Amino acid sequence: MSQQVRLLVGNEGDRDPIDILREALARHERVALSFSGAEDVALIDMVARLASGERAGLRLFSLDTGRLHPETYRFFETVREHYDLPFDLLLPDAAAVGAMTATKGLFSFYKDGHGECCALRKIEPLQRYLVNVDAWITGQRRDQSVTRVHVPQIQDDRAFRGRDDTLMKYNPLAAWSSADVWRYIRNNGVPYNALHDRGFVSIGCEPCTRAIAPHEHERAGRWWWEEATKKECGLHASNTEHVGTLR
Amino acid sequence: MKITMVSKIRLDGTPCPKCEDVKQRLTELGLLNRIDTTEIADERDPDSPGARLAALHNVGLAPFFVVEDGGNIRIYTVFMRFLREVLETKQDADATSTAAQEVLRANPELDLL
Repeated sequence: MSQQVRLLVGNEGDRDPIDILREALARHERVALSFSGAEDVALIDMVARLASGERAGLRLFSLDTGRLHPETYRFFETVREHYDLPFDLLLPDAAAVGAMTATKGLFSFYKDGHGECCALRKIEPLQRYLVNVDAWITGQRRDQSVTRVHVPQIQDDRAFRGRDDTLMKYNPLAAWSSADVWRYIRNNGVPYNALHDRGFVSIGCEPCTRAIAPHEHERAGRWWWEEATKKECGLHASNTEHVGTLR
Repeated sequence: MKITMVSKIRLDGTPCPKCEDVKQRLTELGLLNRIDTTEIADERDPDSPGARLAALHNVGLAPFFVVEDGGNIRIYTVFMRFLREVLETKQDADATSTAAQEVLRANPELDLL
Protein backbone atom coordinates (compact mmCIF):
# COMPACT_ATOMS: atom_id res chain seq x y z
CA MET A 1 0.00 0.00 0.00
CA SER A 2 1.40 3.38 -0.91
CA GLN A 3 2.08 6.02 1.70
CA GLN A 4 -0.26 8.37 -0.19
CA VAL A 5 -3.17 5.99 0.21
CA ARG A 6 -2.38 5.44 3.87
CA LEU A 7 -2.49 9.18 4.52
CA LEU A 8 -5.82 9.54 2.75
CA VAL A 9 -7.74 6.92 4.66
CA GLY A 10 -5.61 5.74 7.53
CA ASN A 11 -5.25 6.73 11.16
CA GLU A 12 -2.02 7.00 12.99
CA GLY A 13 -1.25 3.60 14.41
CA ASP A 14 -3.13 1.62 11.80
CA ARG A 15 -1.59 -1.78 11.37
CA ASP A 16 -1.11 -4.15 8.51
CA PRO A 17 -4.21 -6.28 7.84
CA ILE A 18 -2.19 -9.45 8.25
CA ASP A 19 -1.19 -8.35 11.76
CA ILE A 20 -4.82 -7.81 12.65
CA LEU A 21 -5.80 -11.21 11.28
CA ARG A 22 -3.00 -12.89 13.17
CA GLU A 23 -4.01 -11.17 16.39
CA ALA A 24 -7.65 -12.21 16.01
CA LEU A 25 -6.72 -15.82 15.38
CA ALA A 26 -4.20 -15.89 18.22
CA ARG A 27 -6.46 -14.31 20.81
CA HIS A 28 -9.63 -16.30 20.20
CA GLU A 29 -10.53 -19.94 20.00
CA ARG A 30 -13.45 -19.58 17.60
CA VAL A 31 -13.32 -16.91 14.92
CA ALA A 32 -15.73 -16.33 12.01
CA LEU A 33 -14.78 -14.44 8.87
CA SER A 34 -17.68 -12.72 7.13
CA PHE A 35 -17.59 -12.93 3.33
CA SER A 36 -20.04 -10.89 1.26
CA GLY A 37 -19.16 -12.43 -2.08
CA ALA A 38 -17.42 -9.25 -3.21
CA GLU A 39 -13.89 -7.84 -2.94
CA ASP A 40 -13.60 -8.85 0.71
CA VAL A 41 -12.37 -12.12 -0.76
CA ALA A 42 -8.97 -10.49 -0.25
CA LEU A 43 -9.26 -11.29 3.45
CA ILE A 44 -9.86 -14.95 2.70
CA ASP A 45 -6.76 -15.00 0.55
CA MET A 46 -4.75 -13.46 3.38
CA VAL A 47 -5.84 -16.01 5.97
CA ALA A 48 -5.33 -18.85 3.52
CA ARG A 49 -1.67 -17.85 3.29
CA LEU A 50 -1.21 -18.25 7.04
CA ALA A 51 0.06 -21.53 8.41
CA SER A 52 -2.80 -23.99 8.91
CA GLY A 53 -2.10 -24.08 12.65
CA GLU A 54 -2.64 -20.34 12.89
CA ARG A 55 -6.13 -20.52 11.43
CA ALA A 56 -7.32 -23.71 13.09
CA GLY A 57 -10.28 -22.01 14.80
CA LEU A 58 -11.45 -20.08 11.75
CA ARG A 59 -14.63 -20.56 9.73
CA LEU A 60 -15.82 -18.51 6.77
CA PHE A 61 -19.46 -17.59 6.51
CA SER A 62 -21.76 -15.84 4.06
CA LEU A 63 -25.32 -14.71 4.44
CA ASP A 64 -27.36 -16.61 1.87
CA THR A 65 -30.35 -14.32 1.74
CA GLY A 66 -31.97 -16.37 -1.02
CA ARG A 67 -31.91 -13.28 -3.25
CA LEU A 68 -28.28 -13.19 -4.39
CA HIS A 69 -27.11 -13.03 -8.00
CA PRO A 70 -26.33 -16.35 -9.70
CA GLU A 71 -22.82 -15.00 -10.18
CA THR A 72 -22.43 -14.64 -6.42
CA TYR A 73 -23.54 -18.20 -5.72
CA ARG A 74 -21.06 -19.43 -8.33
CA PHE A 75 -18.39 -17.28 -6.72
CA PHE A 76 -19.11 -18.82 -3.32
CA GLU A 77 -18.42 -22.20 -4.86
CA THR A 78 -15.25 -20.93 -6.52
CA VAL A 79 -14.01 -19.67 -3.16
CA ARG A 80 -14.94 -22.90 -1.42
CA GLU A 81 -13.00 -24.97 -3.93
CA HIS A 82 -10.08 -22.57 -4.30
CA TYR A 83 -9.30 -22.10 -0.61
CA ASP A 84 -10.59 -25.29 1.01
CA LEU A 85 -11.53 -23.52 4.24
CA PRO A 86 -14.61 -24.35 6.37
CA PHE A 87 -17.43 -22.31 4.81
CA ASP A 88 -20.91 -21.86 6.27
CA LEU A 89 -23.89 -20.42 4.40
CA LEU A 90 -26.34 -18.83 6.82
CA LEU A 91 -30.01 -19.10 5.88
CA PRO A 92 -32.81 -16.85 7.14
CA ASP A 93 -35.59 -18.10 9.40
CA ALA A 94 -38.09 -19.57 6.94
CA ALA A 95 -41.16 -18.78 9.05
CA ALA A 96 -40.18 -15.15 9.51
CA VAL A 97 -39.41 -14.59 5.83
CA GLY A 98 -42.55 -16.49 4.85
CA ALA A 99 -44.68 -14.29 7.07
CA MET A 100 -43.20 -11.16 5.51
CA THR A 101 -43.56 -12.23 1.90
CA ALA A 102 -47.05 -13.65 2.46
CA THR A 103 -48.33 -10.29 3.65
CA LYS A 104 -46.13 -7.86 1.73
CA GLY A 105 -44.95 -9.72 -1.36
CA LEU A 106 -41.48 -10.38 -2.66
CA PHE A 107 -40.46 -6.79 -3.31
CA SER A 108 -41.80 -4.86 -0.32
CA PHE A 109 -38.42 -3.15 0.13
CA TYR A 110 -39.08 -0.97 -2.93
CA LYS A 111 -42.01 0.57 -1.00
CA ASP A 112 -41.12 0.20 2.66
CA GLY A 113 -37.34 0.46 2.55
CA HIS A 114 -34.84 -2.34 2.87
CA GLY A 115 -34.69 -2.48 6.67
CA GLU A 116 -37.22 -5.21 7.35
CA CYS A 117 -35.98 -7.51 4.61
CA CYS A 118 -32.29 -7.04 5.52
CA ALA A 119 -33.12 -7.60 9.18
CA LEU A 120 -34.76 -10.94 8.49
CA ARG A 121 -32.41 -12.21 5.81
CA LYS A 122 -29.13 -10.97 7.31
CA ILE A 123 -29.29 -9.74 10.88
CA GLU A 124 -31.32 -12.54 12.44
CA PRO A 125 -29.18 -15.35 10.96
CA LEU A 126 -26.07 -13.39 11.93
CA GLN A 127 -27.28 -13.13 15.54
CA ARG A 128 -27.85 -16.87 15.65
CA TYR A 129 -24.43 -17.62 14.21
CA LEU A 130 -22.31 -15.26 16.24
CA VAL A 131 -23.40 -16.64 19.62
CA ASN A 132 -21.19 -19.61 18.80
CA VAL A 133 -17.98 -17.66 18.25
CA ASP A 134 -15.63 -15.46 20.25
CA ALA A 135 -14.80 -12.97 17.51
CA TRP A 136 -15.61 -12.14 13.93
CA ILE A 137 -13.75 -10.52 11.08
CA THR A 138 -15.28 -8.22 8.49
CA GLY A 139 -14.11 -6.42 5.36
CA GLN A 140 -15.49 -3.10 6.58
CA ARG A 141 -13.51 -0.10 5.31
CA ARG A 142 -13.50 3.57 6.19
CA ASP A 143 -13.82 4.66 2.57
CA GLN A 144 -17.09 2.80 2.00
CA SER A 145 -19.31 5.45 3.53
CA VAL A 146 -19.23 8.67 5.51
CA THR A 147 -20.66 6.69 8.40
CA ARG A 148 -17.56 4.53 8.52
CA VAL A 149 -14.74 7.03 8.54
CA HIS A 150 -13.83 6.03 12.08
CA VAL A 151 -14.21 2.27 11.84
CA PRO A 152 -11.49 0.91 14.12
CA GLN A 153 -9.40 -2.07 13.19
CA ILE A 154 -10.41 -3.79 16.42
CA GLN A 155 -13.55 -3.16 18.43
CA ASP A 156 -15.76 -4.56 21.13
CA ASP A 157 -18.93 -5.49 19.22
CA ARG A 158 -21.89 -4.26 21.18
CA ALA A 159 -24.46 -5.12 18.52
CA PHE A 160 -24.16 -8.86 18.98
CA ARG A 161 -23.17 -11.31 21.65
CA GLY A 162 -20.69 -14.10 21.29
CA ARG A 163 -20.02 -17.39 23.00
CA ASP A 164 -19.33 -15.83 26.41
CA ASP A 165 -21.70 -12.91 25.93
CA THR A 166 -18.85 -10.76 24.68
CA LEU A 167 -17.76 -10.50 21.09
CA MET A 168 -14.78 -8.88 19.45
CA LYS A 169 -14.93 -7.55 15.92
CA TYR A 170 -11.87 -7.17 13.72
CA ASN A 171 -11.87 -4.97 10.62
CA PRO A 172 -8.42 -5.61 9.12
CA LEU A 173 -9.16 -3.61 5.96
CA ALA A 174 -10.47 -0.54 7.82
CA ALA A 175 -7.53 1.59 6.73
CA TRP A 176 -7.42 0.32 3.15
CA SER A 177 -9.13 2.00 0.24
CA SER A 178 -11.04 0.19 -2.47
CA ALA A 179 -8.00 0.70 -4.70
CA ASP A 180 -5.76 -0.97 -2.12
CA VAL A 181 -8.03 -4.00 -2.00
CA TRP A 182 -8.13 -4.31 -5.77
CA ARG A 183 -4.38 -3.92 -5.97
CA TYR A 184 -4.08 -6.86 -3.59
CA ILE A 185 -6.55 -8.94 -5.62
CA ARG A 186 -4.74 -8.31 -8.90
CA ASN A 187 -1.22 -8.66 -7.53
CA ASN A 188 -2.04 -11.98 -5.89
CA GLY A 189 -4.23 -13.56 -8.54
CA VAL A 190 -7.22 -13.70 -6.19
CA PRO A 191 -10.48 -14.93 -7.77
CA TYR A 192 -13.29 -12.36 -7.78
CA ASN A 193 -17.01 -12.10 -8.48
CA ALA A 194 -17.75 -11.82 -12.22
CA LEU A 195 -20.20 -8.99 -11.48
CA HIS A 196 -17.27 -6.67 -10.79
CA ASP A 197 -16.32 -6.81 -14.49
CA ARG A 198 -19.81 -5.51 -15.31
CA GLY A 199 -19.68 -2.35 -13.24
CA PHE A 200 -20.88 -3.73 -9.91
CA VAL A 201 -18.80 -2.39 -7.03
CA SER A 202 -20.78 -3.11 -3.86
CA ILE A 203 -22.52 -6.46 -4.26
CA GLY A 204 -25.56 -7.54 -2.29
CA CYS A 205 -28.95 -9.03 -3.14
CA GLU A 206 -29.95 -9.00 -6.79
CA PRO A 207 -33.03 -6.74 -6.46
CA CYS A 208 -31.09 -4.20 -4.38
CA THR A 209 -27.80 -4.01 -6.27
CA ARG A 210 -26.95 -2.30 -9.55
CA ALA A 211 -23.89 -1.39 -11.56
CA ILE A 212 -22.65 2.17 -11.14
CA ALA A 213 -20.86 4.71 -13.29
CA PRO A 214 -17.14 5.34 -12.66
CA HIS A 215 -17.76 8.69 -10.95
CA GLU A 216 -20.37 7.32 -8.53
CA HIS A 217 -19.68 6.27 -4.96
CA GLU A 218 -20.07 2.55 -4.39
CA ARG A 219 -23.00 3.10 -2.04
CA ALA A 220 -24.95 4.41 -5.07
CA GLY A 221 -25.11 0.83 -6.27
CA ARG A 222 -27.27 -0.23 -3.33
CA TRP A 223 -30.89 0.78 -2.46
CA TRP A 224 -30.73 3.61 -4.98
CA TRP A 225 -34.47 4.25 -4.74
CA GLU A 226 -34.15 5.33 -1.12
CA GLU A 227 -33.19 8.83 -0.12
CA ALA A 228 -29.55 9.22 0.81
CA THR A 229 -30.58 10.31 4.28
CA LYS A 230 -32.47 7.07 4.81
CA LYS A 231 -29.52 5.02 3.65
CA GLU A 232 -27.22 6.73 6.09
CA CYS A 233 -29.48 7.39 9.06
CA GLY A 234 -28.93 6.19 12.62
CA LEU A 235 -25.16 6.36 12.76
CA HIS A 236 -23.50 3.53 14.58
CA ALA A 237 -21.90 5.05 17.65
CA SER A 238 -18.92 2.78 17.63
CA ASN A 239 -18.14 3.75 14.05
CA THR A 240 -18.69 7.47 14.30
CA GLU A 241 -17.01 8.10 17.60
CA HIS A 242 -13.32 7.52 17.30
CA VAL A 243 -12.70 4.77 19.79
CA GLY A 244 -9.27 3.79 18.53
CA THR A 245 -7.82 0.33 18.69
CA LEU A 246 -8.71 -1.84 21.64
CA ARG A 247 -6.02 -3.94 23.12
CA MET B 1 -39.93 -26.10 33.42
CA LYS B 2 -38.51 -23.81 36.06
CA ILE B 3 -36.23 -20.92 35.10
CA THR B 4 -34.01 -19.19 37.64
CA MET B 5 -32.10 -16.06 36.73
CA VAL B 6 -29.03 -15.27 38.80
CA SER B 7 -28.05 -11.61 38.97
CA LYS B 8 -25.00 -10.16 40.64
CA ILE B 9 -24.50 -7.41 43.20
CA ARG B 10 -21.00 -6.02 43.03
CA LEU B 11 -18.63 -5.44 45.94
CA ASP B 12 -19.64 -1.79 46.10
CA GLY B 13 -23.29 -2.78 46.49
CA THR B 14 -24.37 -1.73 43.01
CA PRO B 15 -26.09 -4.11 40.60
CA CYS B 16 -24.04 -5.63 37.78
CA PRO B 17 -24.73 -3.48 34.67
CA LYS B 18 -24.87 -6.49 32.36
CA CYS B 19 -27.46 -8.13 34.62
CA GLU B 20 -29.54 -4.96 34.52
CA ASP B 21 -29.21 -4.84 30.74
CA VAL B 22 -30.40 -8.42 30.40
CA LYS B 23 -33.33 -7.77 32.70
CA GLN B 24 -34.24 -4.71 30.65
CA ARG B 25 -34.11 -6.70 27.43
CA LEU B 26 -36.30 -9.40 28.90
CA THR B 27 -38.78 -6.71 29.92
CA GLU B 28 -38.75 -5.10 26.47
CA LEU B 29 -39.32 -8.46 24.84
CA GLY B 30 -42.21 -9.20 27.20
CA LEU B 31 -40.40 -12.28 28.47
CA LEU B 32 -39.64 -11.33 32.06
CA ASN B 33 -42.68 -13.23 33.28
CA ARG B 34 -41.10 -16.42 31.96
CA ILE B 35 -38.47 -16.17 34.71
CA ASP B 36 -39.83 -18.04 37.71
CA THR B 37 -37.23 -16.97 40.27
CA THR B 38 -34.46 -14.42 40.50
CA GLU B 39 -31.60 -15.09 42.88
CA ILE B 40 -28.93 -12.61 43.85
CA ALA B 41 -25.25 -13.47 43.82
CA ASP B 42 -23.87 -10.88 46.20
CA GLU B 43 -20.11 -10.55 45.87
CA ARG B 44 -20.01 -9.43 49.50
CA ASP B 45 -21.75 -12.59 50.66
CA PRO B 46 -20.51 -15.96 49.38
CA ASP B 47 -23.49 -17.59 51.04
CA SER B 48 -26.05 -15.55 49.14
CA PRO B 49 -28.42 -17.83 47.18
CA GLY B 50 -27.08 -16.76 43.78
CA ALA B 51 -23.47 -17.20 44.88
CA ARG B 52 -24.26 -20.70 46.09
CA LEU B 53 -25.88 -21.53 42.73
CA ALA B 54 -22.83 -20.18 40.91
CA ALA B 55 -20.54 -22.35 43.02
CA LEU B 56 -22.78 -25.38 42.63
CA HIS B 57 -22.78 -25.14 38.84
CA ASN B 58 -19.22 -23.81 38.54
CA VAL B 59 -20.32 -20.64 36.78
CA GLY B 60 -18.11 -17.58 36.73
CA LEU B 61 -20.27 -15.23 34.67
CA ALA B 62 -23.31 -13.18 35.55
CA PRO B 63 -26.07 -13.13 34.77
CA PHE B 64 -26.77 -16.78 34.15
CA PHE B 65 -29.86 -18.92 33.95
CA VAL B 66 -30.65 -22.28 35.52
CA VAL B 67 -33.27 -24.19 33.56
CA GLU B 68 -34.77 -27.22 35.32
CA ASP B 69 -36.88 -29.37 33.07
CA GLY B 70 -38.07 -32.81 34.13
CA GLY B 71 -35.07 -33.52 36.33
CA ASN B 72 -32.68 -32.22 33.68
CA ILE B 73 -30.75 -29.06 34.56
CA ARG B 74 -29.20 -26.81 31.93
CA ILE B 75 -27.07 -23.74 32.62
CA TYR B 76 -27.02 -20.79 30.23
CA THR B 77 -24.38 -18.11 30.52
CA VAL B 78 -24.98 -16.77 27.00
CA PHE B 79 -28.10 -14.67 27.00
CA MET B 80 -28.77 -14.91 23.27
CA ARG B 81 -28.52 -18.68 23.39
CA PHE B 82 -30.89 -18.77 26.35
CA LEU B 83 -33.32 -16.59 24.43
CA ARG B 84 -33.16 -18.75 21.36
CA GLU B 85 -33.17 -22.17 22.97
CA VAL B 86 -35.40 -21.63 25.98
CA LEU B 87 -37.62 -18.61 25.44
CA GLU B 88 -37.69 -17.71 21.77
CA THR B 89 -38.67 -21.16 20.65
CA LYS B 90 -42.17 -19.82 21.10
CA GLN B 91 -41.42 -16.43 19.59
CA ASP B 92 -43.44 -15.64 16.48
CA ALA B 93 -42.22 -14.30 13.17
CA ASP B 94 -43.24 -10.74 14.03
CA ALA B 95 -41.12 -10.73 17.17
CA THR B 96 -38.15 -12.14 15.26
CA SER B 97 -38.54 -9.41 12.68
CA THR B 98 -38.87 -6.65 15.25
CA ALA B 99 -35.80 -7.71 17.21
CA ALA B 100 -33.65 -7.95 14.08
CA GLN B 101 -34.84 -4.60 12.79
CA GLU B 102 -33.88 -2.98 16.10
CA VAL B 103 -30.34 -4.23 15.67
CA LEU B 104 -30.18 -2.96 12.10
CA ARG B 105 -31.55 0.47 13.04
CA ALA B 106 -28.84 0.83 15.67
CA ASN B 107 -26.15 -0.50 13.35
CA PRO B 108 -27.13 0.55 9.81
CA GLU B 109 -23.79 -0.37 8.30
CA LEU B 110 -24.64 -4.04 8.78
CA ASP B 111 -26.90 -4.02 5.74
CA LEU B 112 -23.81 -4.09 3.56
CA LEU B 113 -22.75 -7.49 4.81
